[in-house]
Amino acid sequence: MKQQYKLKFLLPTLREKDRYISFQVISEEPIVYEDLEQAIWNTMLDFSGELGVSKTSVWLIKNLYDSEKQVGVIRCNNKSVQQVIAGLGLISRLGDVRVTFKILKVSGTIRGLEI
Amino acid sequence: MIMSFFDLHMHSAFSEGESSLEQLATAAKQLGYKGICLAEYYKNDEQIKKLKTEIERIKQKAGIEIFLGFEARNLKELNILRERRKRFDVLLVRGGDLRLNREAVETPEVDILTHPEYERQDCGMNHILMKAASKNNVAIEINFREVLVSSKKTRSMILKHMTQNIKLAKKFKAPIIVCSGALSHWDVVDPQCLISFVNLLGLELNEAKNTISKVPERIIKQIKERKSEDWIVPGVKVVK
Repeated sequence: MKQQYKLKFLLPTLREKDRYISFQVISEEPIVYEDLEQAIWNTMLDFSGELGVSKTSVWLIKNLYDSEKQVGVIRCNNKSVQQVIAGLGLISRLGDVRVTFKILKVSGTIRGLEI
Repeated sequence: MIMSFFDLHMHSAFSEGESSLEQLATAAKQLGYKGICLAEYYKNDEQIKKLKTEIERIKQKAGIEIFLGFEARNLKELNILRERRKRFDVLLVRGGDLRLNREAVETPEVDILTHPEYERQDCGMNHILMKAASKNNVAIEINFREVLVSSKKTRSMILKHMTQNIKLAKKFKAPIIVCSGALSHWDVVDPQCLISFVNLLGLELNEAKNTISKVPERIIKQIKERKSEDWIVPGVKVVK
């Protein structure tokens, strides 16, 4: 059997500093997570371009999404918080459902979001 | 210190909007705005009375400040609205036409020049117009809806023109205001998104926050001054 090697963790000073943005989706009908993920990626790619998005390290955290309250968490690096928030503001539809994003909190840790 | 946010450019079903005033006010309250301003099109004096009654009713119901504004679409409308300036709160001028842009920034009664780059191949403003805007305290609007409804080449051109306007406004110290320009209550945008948006266009973070809090607050302060009996025209009031 081939032995699996794992990368050693980077030193804290070499790691990217993360920011977590919690948001709520206000919509006329309940939304599907997959549609949300798709819309966020498409809008970010349209607004910032492929190179721009690669510099933001943006990622929607699936297991923190609350489908009842429609509250989710998006991760990015500390230098691109404004770019990601502006991108979220540009999402006005998820499929045929009209939506608005409400930014709840920005924090350096998931615990700090108090969700 | 907690900041108060205001969105001074929204259209309800009274003009070209799709949503009722109540829907707009509820959506804005939910997103954390302290006040909004309707930008309607002037028809007659009867319409002003009707809108004022409706605003008073919704204001108490939704628990948010609502101001009555009129958006002039041409020089004729601007002159009519100038004569009736004391009867409503905010005077907006729809930008895009160079003559109207110039007239707007040279008129002290005007509060906001909305999207000066609207449907243009250039940014609609130059150093002379910006100096006049600064002198007469006319706020230059960055309209978020213009970006929201456009895409690809058009969006990139609009963003370029907005960036240029911001650069000029910063140089000549003209006030900049950011508004959602909502036609529907689904177009009302979170204040944080608007701040981030203008921040990306070239304003520092505190300057970006001012475009949605301090600049609208100054306009609201002027509204209160204008409503007092001592006010005559901009810059002239009775001192007892």
